[in-house]
Amino acid sequence: MMRQGFSQLLKKDFRLMLSGRFFLLALASLVLYSCYIHFVYAKVDQVIYPVYLFDPQGMLDTQSNLDSQDNSGSQGNFGSQDNSGSQGASDSQGNFGSQGNSGSQGRTDAPCDVNSRSNCNSRSSQTARSDYITEVDSREALEAACEDRYSVGIDLSSGTPEFYLLSSGIRTADNYRAIWAQAVLAGNLAGQAEVIGTNSREMKNRREITAEFLFFELSAVGFLGLASLLFKEKQMGVIRVHGILPVNRTMFILSKLSLFLVSDLVFASLLTLINLGPGQGAAVLPAVLLQTGILSLIMALTGFFCAVRLPDFKQFSLLYLILAVFITTPVFLAGQTGLSGGWIDYHPMYHLFKAMKGACFLTPNTQWPYYAACLGTILLLFLLAHRTLTRELAREG
Amino acid sequence: MKRLLYQLKSIRRDKLCLLTFLLPIAAGLAINLLSGVNLNSMGETSFGILEDQISDETVVWLQASGSVTKYKTEQALREAVNEPSTQMIGVLKAGDGIRTLLSGDELELNKAIADTLPRLYERRAEETGHRVTLLPVSNKNDGLISLLIVITLVTAMFMGCTFNAMNIISEKEDGIDLVNQILPMTAGTYLIQKMLLGFLGGTLSTVLTALVCMRITPAQMFPLFLIILLSAYIAALAGLYIGRFSEGLMVGILYIKVVMILFLAPPIFFLLMVPEGSALFSLSYLLPSSAAFYGLMDLIGGSANIPVKEIAVLAVHGAAWLLLYLPLSGHRKKQRQAR
Repeated sequence: MMRQGFSQLLKKDFRLMLSGRFFLLALASLVLYSCYIHFVYAKVDQVIYPVYLFDPQGMLDTQSNLDSQDNSGSQGNFGSQDNSGSQGASDSQGNFGSQGNSGSQGRTDAPCDVNSRSNCNSRSSQTARSDYITEVDSREALEAACEDRYSVGIDLSSGTPEFYLLSSGIRTADNYRAIWAQAVLAGNLAGQAEVIGTNSREMKNRREITAEFLFFELSAVGFLGLASLLFKEKQMGVIRVHGILPVNRTMFILSKLSLFLVSDLVFASLLTLINLGPGQGAAVLPAVLLQTGILSLIMALTGFFCAVRLPDFKQFSLLYLILAVFITTPVFLAGQTGLSGGWIDYHPMYHLFKAMKGACFLTPNTQWPYYAACLGTILLLFLLAHRTLTRELAREG
Repeated sequence: MKRLLYQLKSIRRDKLCLLTFLLPIAAGLAINLLSGVNLNSMGETSFGILEDQISDETVVWLQASGSVTKYKTEQALREAVNEPSTQMIGVLKAGDGIRTLLSGDELELNKAIADTLPRLYERRAEETGHRVTLLPVSNKNDGLISLLIVITLVTAMFMGCTFNAMNIISEKEDGIDLVNQILPMTAGTYLIQKMLLGFLGGTLSTVLTALVCMRITPAQMFPLFLIILLSAYIAALAGLYIGRFSEGLMVGILYIKVVMILFLAPPIFFLLMVPEGSALFSLSYLLPSSAAFYGLMDLIGGSANIPVKEIAVLAVHGAAWLLLYLPLSGHRKKQRQAR
């Protein structure tokens, strides 16, 4: 009898979710997120400061020829490079703008790629200087090229080199740009840092953004999903009807909770597998699903509690705005900048976010106090939701 | 005037409207607190070193080019370098020089810095004596901060649609709309009343936000004010559209969210990703918020010229959307008469 009642409830909730276009929305966001990750975020990069050279007397060419006698294979030939000064000038993107595809547009492509590391080393030791330098044919073009506050110009027209740069607003970065240009002019920048990590930049970006999207979708959207379902039921008078039906309140909560949990788990699996690839995705999937389950239950229960407690959708959307702005934004900022310690440690959502990120980076949270706290929170929220529902039913009935 | 006061009174009771009014101002204050302190260190290169290994002279040299964090053990240093959300470069001693550690997931910029840092260190004695022309920034706001300020301002401007949309929708729900229909009020008066509501809300919120977080010269006052007025007017129009088309509160809130995302995300994307002057970039002017966005970006970047193109685009948008709305409101009047 009880089991039948539960399956009836499940069916009803499922139909409600269908008619509320909940699955359609989830599918749309899955497609949107995946496209963004695949076409934009995975490619986010920032090239080393481009160096533009104005050398009317060809001083550097003669010097390079001298160099090439010492350093066999050196090609001090700048003319072969695409002269893209004007393009660089029209791009007023500043430091942050040089991320993404446009960053490499019209600039000397930086030589290294993780997949071809060994390959790029041999290359950079041969043509270290010309890899970084773009030649321009007038002082005006040089100044225009430096207007992005990112590039550095070298003017050799007076015989002694003049390093020309517009401040980026960061003192240390300006200093580095100046000594970088000096080193590029002096040539011989061969070198290789020891690589100790396992992720490439692209893989890191994919893991990072997948964790962030999952966190966002589960905390912000999941919260809204269950609540809007409940408000709909409230509007339709379902809650009032339940007050006089012999339906167990626990069942009422559990049926919604389990449906949202299952749909969140499916969403998380798809997002992970699509964006990390089947191999890497499968490796992180168990840990990701565990964190998804925790986050989904906590957020759905919070949404349930708020939706039952608050009288109308308007007040609920107010709360939602506060949640989205003041609770998730600091977590994102912290996640992006690697901020740790201090006030953020007292932000409960931060720990959930860290655990999700850890799961995506194959370093799952293994500390039992965390899981104990999560379990405690879920139980507490469940009791709270149950009590509020009982009270609301008593009031309505 | 008296009617407008009544409407303002009803808005004042609405917490959602009050919050949307105060939110941009709060964000402006937050940006003000942020500026100069935190974000500057974000653009810096960060180096990690071992506490006892690196000499003070080297630390000073590194500090000139970035921030330096000291670690007690090599294990801790390696973990910090490996941490995915940072771009830290590990610096270790190697003979007389240094060697560097990378996690391998860094941006191209930091990879190149780490690969070449030992070479730069070797030739540190030659750094002085060069002729370096460093032009200071024309305004104090750096890139990220000005982007944040502009996003906040544009949000404030177009949030104006919330005020009149919510007002119209709640009137619909409470049945005041029906009462209005038997009152001797023309569609034009109704339109102007509702427009004024969104317009005043949006303008006031934006002006206050601008006062809090923007530093501009007197010469820029006029174009800034013009952009704010035009955008708030367009936002009020958008509010009318939302109020016209949404039947319930839930749908209305959903529409407002969609409109806000549509107005905010594309300009940011176009500004960062698409080179200015391309055909695709011109296409972005189809959205009124893009024009406001680029105009503000110019102003905040220290330009003294009046952004004529942006203002013209905004004016065209204002006229076009109003012309498009008039038949709709006429339709409404006929509906009323039919009843």
